[in-house]
Amino acid sequence: MSQAVAPVRHVLIEGDKSYHRITEDLVSPTEKAPTREWMIAFTIAAAFLGLYVFAIVWTVWKGIGEWGANRTINWAWDITNFVWWIGIGHAGTLISAILLLFRQRWRTGVNRAAEAMTIFAVMCAGQFPIFHMGRVWLAFFIAPFPNTRGPLWVNFNSPLLWDVFAISTYFSVSLLFWYTGLVPDLATVRDRATGFRRKMYETFSFGWTGSAKHWQRWESLSLILAGISTPLVLSVHTIVSFDFATSIIPGWHTTIFPPYFVAGAVFSGFAMVQTLMVITRKVLKLEEYITLNHIESMNKVIVLTGTIVGVAYLTELFIAWYSGYIYEQFAFYNRVFGIYWWAYFGMMFCNVVSPQLFWSRKIRRSIWWTFFLSIVVNIGMWFERFVIIATTLARDYLPSSWSYYRPTWVEISIFSGTIGLFFVLYLIFTRVAPVVAIAEIKSILKVAGSQYIGPNAKHQHGTESVKKQDESGH
Amino acid sequence: MGEFMAKYPNTRVITYDPVSAAALLAANEQSFGQRAIPSYHFDQADVIVSFNADFLGTWISPVEYARAYAKRRKITDKKMDNMSRHYQVESHMSLTGSNADNRILVKPSEQGAAICALYNEVAALTGAGSIGGPKVNDKAAASMKKVARELVNAKGKSLVVSASNNVAEQVIVNKINDLLGNINTTVDFGTLSYQRQGDERDMVRLIEEMKSGQVAIAIVWGANPAYELPNAVAFKEAFAKVNTRVSFSGVMDETTSLCTHAAPAHHSLESWGDVEPKEGHLSMIQPTIAPLFDTRQAELSLLMWADSPNLNLEDEQPYYQYLKSYWASDLFGRQNKYSTPTAFWDMSVHDGVFEMPASGRTVSFNGNVSSEGVSKPSGSAVEISCFETVNIGNGQYAHNPWLQEMPDPVNRSVWGNYLAIPVEWDGVNNINGWQNLTDGDHVDVTIGGKTLNCAVVRGFGQMPGTVSIALGQGREAGGCGVGYGVNVNPWLGMNGNLIQYYAGDVQVSDKPTSTDKNVPCVQHHHTMGVAVGKEEDGKPYFVDEHAIGYKGFAGALTDRSIIFQAHVNELPELGERMEKFHEEAGHLNQQTLYPDRSEFFGTGLHWGMYVDLNSCIGCGACQVACVSENNVPVVGKNEVARHHEMTWLRIDRYFYGDLENPKVVYQPMMCQHCETAPCENVCPVNATNHSMEGLNQMAYNRCIGTRYCANNCPYKVRRFNWLDYTTADLWPANEERVFHVSEDDKPFYADNLVRMVLNPDVTVRSRGVIEKCSFCVQRIQEGKLTAKKETRALADNDVRTACQTACPTGAITFGNLNNPDSEVNQKRNNAGAFAYQVLEEINTRPGVKYSAKIHNSNEELNS
Repeated sequence: MSQAVAPVRHVLIEGDKSYHRITEDLVSPTEKAPTREWMIAFTIAAAFLGLYVFAIVWTVWKGIGEWGANRTINWAWDITNFVWWIGIGHAGTLISAILLLFRQRWRTGVNRAAEAMTIFAVMCAGQFPIFHMGRVWLAFFIAPFPNTRGPLWVNFNSPLLWDVFAISTYFSVSLLFWYTGLVPDLATVRDRATGFRRKMYETFSFGWTGSAKHWQRWESLSLILAGISTPLVLSVHTIVSFDFATSIIPGWHTTIFPPYFVAGAVFSGFAMVQTLMVITRKVLKLEEYITLNHIESMNKVIVLTGTIVGVAYLTELFIAWYSGYIYEQFAFYNRVFGIYWWAYFGMMFCNVVSPQLFWSRKIRRSIWWTFFLSIVVNIGMWFERFVIIATTLARDYLPSSWSYYRPTWVEISIFSGTIGLFFVLYLIFTRVAPVVAIAEIKSILKVAGSQYIGPNAKHQHGTESVKKQDESGH
Repeated sequence: MGEFMAKYPNTRVITYDPVSAAALLAANEQSFGQRAIPSYHFDQADVIVSFNADFLGTWISPVEYARAYAKRRKITDKKMDNMSRHYQVESHMSLTGSNADNRILVKPSEQGAAICALYNEVAALTGAGSIGGPKVNDKAAASMKKVARELVNAKGKSLVVSASNNVAEQVIVNKINDLLGNINTTVDFGTLSYQRQGDERDMVRLIEEMKSGQVAIAIVWGANPAYELPNAVAFKEAFAKVNTRVSFSGVMDETTSLCTHAAPAHHSLESWGDVEPKEGHLSMIQPTIAPLFDTRQAELSLLMWADSPNLNLEDEQPYYQYLKSYWASDLFGRQNKYSTPTAFWDMSVHDGVFEMPASGRTVSFNGNVSSEGVSKPSGSAVEISCFETVNIGNGQYAHNPWLQEMPDPVNRSVWGNYLAIPVEWDGVNNINGWQNLTDGDHVDVTIGGKTLNCAVVRGFGQMPGTVSIALGQGREAGGCGVGYGVNVNPWLGMNGNLIQYYAGDVQVSDKPTSTDKNVPCVQHHHTMGVAVGKEEDGKPYFVDEHAIGYKGFAGALTDRSIIFQAHVNELPELGERMEKFHEEAGHLNQQTLYPDRSEFFGTGLHWGMYVDLNSCIGCGACQVACVSENNVPVVGKNEVARHHEMTWLRIDRYFYGDLENPKVVYQPMMCQHCETAPCENVCPVNATNHSMEGLNQMAYNRCIGTRYCANNCPYKVRRFNWLDYTTADLWPANEERVFHVSEDDKPFYADNLVRMVLNPDVTVRSRGVIEKCSFCVQRIQEGKLTAKKETRALADNDVRTACQTACPTGAITFGNLNNPDSEVNQKRNNAGAFAYQVLEEINTRPGVKYSAKIHNSNEELNS
């Protein structure tokens, strides 16, 4: 092994890659015809997307009454799914921005896919606040724009309006960040492409030439965007939690919500990244880029955030008891032992108990355990939102109005449909762009000049990778 | 009618009532020589004993009785020593029973025995002789002893009434009143009531006559015997033998569809007429609209068929002229208030009623009482009672969707009748129905060989060993009520040809035949914690349905600041408790980020309301008034079952106290118009906001339907248009212009006839928007405009909300809180610490105040 590896630093990608090998590995999926697995996955995802479109049209045409929500539980699966998706959309930015600022360089293996996931998750999340409106055709009312109705302005006191701003900002910044990262890689794809593809990628890479000036600007932009997105990671879910925390309903009206929601979001976001990465690395044969070390690192984040969430759950219970306020006490008593007790215990088991398995190094480094537990965590986080939203509303102040909620086929279709939407987007993404950031991964390659093949190169290295390159004709 | 009978002397008029009071009439004739119902003065009675008489809901003249009854229930001062005490003897929780201070549970067949027991106790105390009679259950017998003593102590100021349809029992009740010195005081024959005159024994005779072919022509007017009679089958058979069968009914009901001729009469809102519901009270029927259809007033038809010489068919409104000349020629002479017939007529039309001086008639009890003829307890394991509901009656109103969708006051279910079964605590986590049945189960119930499949509802306060079900459902023809519930009239038996509204030997299938997951009930949680036993320290052990199971957590329900209740003897303690509560809440509410808006609200108008829970009897009139005033859509059984009902005003009903014999409190709940409304600051588009007059208002056009406001409303009064209930939605209503929709496919609210139900002053809401109580803002506006036109300041009571006008007991008062002299302010001040805002401590600052609920139960009876 000729890699010049500092003894204190771990290898971040395996397989003794050369620069060229990396390009080959990462760009080739966009160049080959789709595999059969991809086709099957895409067909299933597209079918669910179709179901989504159908269910949405049904809802808009007939009315929200097609859902199971009722006069007491006015939000249920819709907002549960919204918060769930938004939470999932947290890992990407966290990985890109915060880990970038903290110089956690292992992030480069997963950041591209995680960012893409963020964007797609936020797109899925955005469906719900829009289509849960009774009169979606008037959704533009929530935009503050000069108008002839007075002018009539939006209500800046409403957390729902803050949501609009928070999410649209988050989405645009994440998109910019993601795309900025993509530009050099798209240029790489362009350089290898011909014909129409080349034209397309030429456009999308904005004429990137790889000059030092480009790189310098690119680096600056990345840092600025990282700086902007860092507070966003914290703010978006904080603001989402305000939907509940600023309300007056016992069980919602809690100051602990912002940090608890953020931790939960990171938790579920990493779980979703795990789910996707485990599949992606296998299917696209990227095991050497997304290594067990990545998986282990992320599992560490999961066990940390899962424990934070667990502490938050227990704090809630304590505070409810300590408050001496009967409505608050009842709300939490009901949360645990009430009509939706199964959701609470499901949440506790999935979010608090199951991640503790990751204290074991063996489980942390097991692909199967990771995959299984990431799904469990995602289910748990869905339950958490359901518990907070539906259970709380089902038993609020006036016992006369207490009711029960069951989803209808329409809501189930919309939810599974957004999963379809998500995977359609993700699968397309794996076909059109490198799922690992080529430029960034090359920067962490622990090789020195040994791979240099320029005019002054002497044939003294004789490493395998060079040989391979020679064979491939470069 | 007289003229018709003069022309056709063979005519006989036969009257029966949908729910009979024939025995009462007969007993009064026997005891007092008056075949009529006296005026009962519930306001003059210190002690009221009602044997199954639902006098607040359905019995004889409920509105009149409720108004009088409520006078003695209001909070007058800190002592309330004038409060009446009300005992209800019954097996099922009736509307009246739910308002009673004590309910004495007897099986339906024990009513006679209970009356005898009370008679014997009263007789023993007043020196009259015992009549013996069947024995009532021990608990009730013990209660009767105590009740009798109280009645005797309140001699001349007590009142005993019974709904029994057994002449012997009613005679005993008359004698009890006589022994108590109530005749001519609380039982007043000076003004007779004509609201019940029918006798079903005449119907039995008629059926015989029809069967034997003695009847050639039958005219049915204002009755539906093919549905209402227990022996409807016999009626139908006999009716078919009549050659000419004419109906005046405006709808094709069960009887009309058997007729050879339908002569639909005007609706009462299209008719002229006069009625005398009570002696000396001549009331006018005046049309509010020209006849919509090609109908003719029934009276006019009869007069025309009689070739009346007094009728001038050339007149534009012949019956109007006929009526007017009758008033001039006949009634005018019987009064001396007005000097000319024209003035007499005009003023009576103007006032709506003309009152003659009271007759001053007094009566005395004649004859004997004996327990002979008193019905004997059946001894069967399960008995059923069938009762009239306040909204449907015995089916007369079953075709009115507003009334069908008005929840039954007690079981809170809609669109149908439900078999109420007794409940018991399972010791762990649930209040189970008898035989482990629960809401939504359907069972087969067999009585006298007739089986019906009934939906079950858990009946709090239903006596063990009994079940009950409402009359009036299971209609087969005539309108929207068809297909809902079951017709239980065939279950009713006859005793001496008098209908008995109960039955024994009830067979209920062990297992449910089917179960509905969606129960069309608007309230699924019924209690505010009920006591099922005592904890170790002797305090009552409160439980509740689901979620609040185990010991030590009852406070979360019983201590909610939604209802405050106490015994009248504990008023000072309650006053202290509430003062402390107001103080604590006031302190909490000062810890706020909101700017103080008292200046904003303190000037000009500030609308507010006061709801007296002691006056509220839960009848639901306010709710229906609100629906009709505010174009609140009817959504139907399935949508109610999915909790999609649209009512702006609802009456929450909570059980509290002992599970076996719970007390009830009714709480009309509408938008509280909070000064710091939680709904307002969460709306992203400002669709709901506060007016300068303290109204929480909705801009429907601006609403995009996020429903955040509804979630954040602590009172859960906001209603969302889940589906296109009014067909007012953009697309279907406008398709007509684009696609030329045929008449049949037209959305129903595009139909001009249907649209007449709408109040033109109130917007019809479209799908996808939130709506809620507006404090009848259209009426406020109208009041202000009227005052403006008359160039005067707005006076108190210029504006009255729909619910307020409908309330029979004056429980709802509305007005300007900034006017210190307004009625609403006076009442709120009068109630002092007993007036509270629901959830006062959460700083919503509602514009509505309620009064604490005070009861006057005899605690000896419960021990």
